[in-house]
Amino acid sequence: MRQEDQERILTELQSRILHRITAQAAAKGPPLEEVLADSIYHELRRLKDEADGRAHREAGAFWAEARKALPRGNERAIQSLLARAIDRYSREIAGYFDERVYRTVTRAGEPVLAMLLGATSPKRLAANFPSMPQLSDNLVVQGETEHLRRLHEVGTVLLVPTHVSHMDSVITGYVVWKLGLPPFLYGAGLNLFSNPLLGYFMRNLGAYTVDRKKADPLYKEVLKEYATLTLENGYDNIFFPGGTRSRSGAVEKRLKYGLMGTGIPAYINNLKQKKNKSKVFIVPATLSYQLVLEAETLMDDFLKEVGKSRYIITDDEFSRPRRVFEFAQQVFSLDSKIFFTLGRGMDPFGNPVDDHGESLDPHGRHIDASRYVLVDGEPRELPQRDAEYTREVGERVMDAYARDNVVQATNITARAILTLLRKQNPGMDLVRLIRAGGRSEDMELLAVYREVETIMRQLRGMADRGGIRLSPTTQRGGADEIVAEGLRHFAIYHTTPAVSRRGDRVFPTDRSLLFYYQNRLEGYRLEREDALRPALSADHRALGRGAA
Amino acid sequence: MSAVNVAVIGAGRMAQVMSQVLLAGGGRVSVFSRRGMVRKALKEQLKKVHIVDSVEEACHHAHVVVLAVPAPDMPEAAASYAPFAQPDHIVIHACRGVAAGLVLPHQAIRNQTCVRKIVALGGPLYAEKLAKDRPMVAVAASRFADANERVRKLVEGTPVRLHGVSDVVGVEIAGAISNVSALAVGMSDALQLGDTARGVLLTRGLSEATRLGVRMGAELATFSGLAGVGDLIPRTVSSTKRHHDVGAQLSDGKTLAEALKSVTGSVEGVVTAQEVAAKTEKMGLRLPLVQGIAGILSGRLHVQQTLEDLLRLDLELEKESLAAGR
Repeated sequence: MRQEDQERILTELQSRILHRITAQAAAKGPPLEEVLADSIYHELRRLKDEADGRAHREAGAFWAEARKALPRGNERAIQSLLARAIDRYSREIAGYFDERVYRTVTRAGEPVLAMLLGATSPKRLAANFPSMPQLSDNLVVQGETEHLRRLHEVGTVLLVPTHVSHMDSVITGYVVWKLGLPPFLYGAGLNLFSNPLLGYFMRNLGAYTVDRKKADPLYKEVLKEYATLTLENGYDNIFFPGGTRSRSGAVEKRLKYGLMGTGIPAYINNLKQKKNKSKVFIVPATLSYQLVLEAETLMDDFLKEVGKSRYIITDDEFSRPRRVFEFAQQVFSLDSKIFFTLGRGMDPFGNPVDDHGESLDPHGRHIDASRYVLVDGEPRELPQRDAEYTREVGERVMDAYARDNVVQATNITARAILTLLRKQNPGMDLVRLIRAGGRSEDMELLAVYREVETIMRQLRGMADRGGIRLSPTTQRGGADEIVAEGLRHFAIYHTTPAVSRRGDRVFPTDRSLLFYYQNRLEGYRLEREDALRPALSADHRALGRGAA
Repeated sequence: MSAVNVAVIGAGRMAQVMSQVLLAGGGRVSVFSRRGMVRKALKEQLKKVHIVDSVEEACHHAHVVVLAVPAPDMPEAAASYAPFAQPDHIVIHACRGVAAGLVLPHQAIRNQTCVRKIVALGGPLYAEKLAKDRPMVAVAASRFADANERVRKLVEGTPVRLHGVSDVVGVEIAGAISNVSALAVGMSDALQLGDTARGVLLTRGLSEATRLGVRMGAELATFSGLAGVGDLIPRTVSSTKRHHDVGAQLSDGKTLAEALKSVTGSVEGVVTAQEVAAKTEKMGLRLPLVQGIAGILSGRLHVQQTLEDLLRLDLELEKESLAAGR
């Protein structure tokens, strides 16, 4: 963000939130001292559980002082404390974006950006430079690319990708750069900034900080207002509406609407100010990998009992540079493709838009979207109404995810083997089967081929109808080619291969990984022909809820 | 605030009564009917409403649009309204059925138009009673609280009292399946199977509505509320409903075509039973009453035998299937 905008936005943010909570207090909402007391309580509790450090001590001092001042503070003093709290939060979120650094990074081009994928030290980078994996050779950007460029011209874009890996943000940032667009802002977990080099680049590529450990409602309000203000000021944004990386590996079926809903207030404020570029567009993007960097950690977390899953994982593969580097090098050596599929944009009410950003009804007729937010003829926010609009957008986004999901050989191979495993062990609970293994484990390669053929018959029909996408191998290859590609990938990178082949037999070796990779095909009702219940929802609905 | 402009599309009994109520609430009402003859007759009956010659004219400056057509015709009616629909319109319907492919009325409207604020009326809302100015209570279901509020205000000062709820799917399904139950009860009454049979059939109907509803995303509580149980109680008292009559005639050996010819107005339950049966069989959801009635309507099943089978069914089934359907 430009420095001059930053200061203006932060000032506006502070005054908006203060104004709002004062107005709420006047309208029989919580009084100001209660809002402050709430913040103090949440923050001091968070700080108690967290590691010591400079930021920690400083925050502790501030909140301790606030606690002391609270009981004898008059309204003015409390207001001033709240203003300072808002300022602290918003400055932490906004960080500092240096346009010079962005220009340097992007001018240097692909090697540096590819290095971000590796997130390694400069020394390691130098040592490995000749063999540096080239992201551009392995990334397929497809779908509505030109449409996205157009929408960026006529309004502000909110890009909402699927989320399975921390690599998603790096890849999304790279795609934006590759399309020749200015950097999009995006919220990244505070823990990701702890790697100094990565943190430095992330900040300067548009990342702002989201600290999911802060439970203070005021913090969440500041975060939402910050996102709203950046959109209002024409800064394109990236949000991951899944909220966190998918633990099961499945395409998102439940979204978090908080940040995605900021498109509506931003649009309304723009209408009120009669801005020329008032429109906000939501553009879904779907990422598809053969192998996922953090698959093991995520699946492990998913399989934990309900309530024990860690919402925030700070110590996974992404924080270990060596693992990231191995991943990039090994996966790219197999000519493995990552698909980044852009969907059609929509307005904040779930209607598709054309290249000029005009909203369309189901028959393709132009409609005046500003009329969705009118109250007695004037644009105005109505929280319940706007939440419904956003839910509608969420449904359209999930439709796009399901349609644009590119099926890879690993997904099909994993699904075929897990399905056979379930058929070989009838009546056995899936969780037990995954944890302890079945009575009968290995299977004939030919049986796997047959299963793959059954799956492919369904998937190809579905792809013809536009319900899903297939990678080149899964689109045209025979069952043997698909399985060969799947097995080749499963043989690398992961600590234990998901499956291995000996002669004409196949041995599942890490069943939870098979489960993880097959889950990408959940929700398409493929199991109808097998008379099996969907693997993910059969036994894992409760688990999934716990890990949502 | 100035008077609310209301467009009513369709001119059946429900359309007439809705026009009267909305007029009494102070709305400016324009009515469009597809059939010229009906338009002419309406012009004489309803002095204060504007009878117009096109959907476009009816919707001109409209704030609220009532699509007063039977559920099977909803996709077509919504499509004819779509070119004149505006994002700030509120659309009201009072369907008690589904369209082909088990499309619920609000889905038909949503699929065809840009409108989001759809209000489904449900519960014991009977045109006959409305016409007689007796006080009555009904449910207005919309995902949008502001739309519910607006519609509630629209009938202020009239005998109609609306309760706003958010479960559109539940209210629509409860209404649709209750018509199928009415067909079954009509058959049972004609065969003189008695009050117990009637009670069992209505209970089964509600239980099947619940299972289907929950599977389609409805809230369980809706079915024990005014739109569910509350809707069945008055219905059992008044046995003059069209569905009941059609059911009774089928029991008496008439063909479906003959039975339908003998009643005026739409019998939404016929299409509903057939569409719900076809779709739920594919979904693997067992709804013995709906599927049985559909079988009778298509001539596949015998009335008496089917009803007897239904009455013999283990009621425990409901519990199990409800658990499985969730």
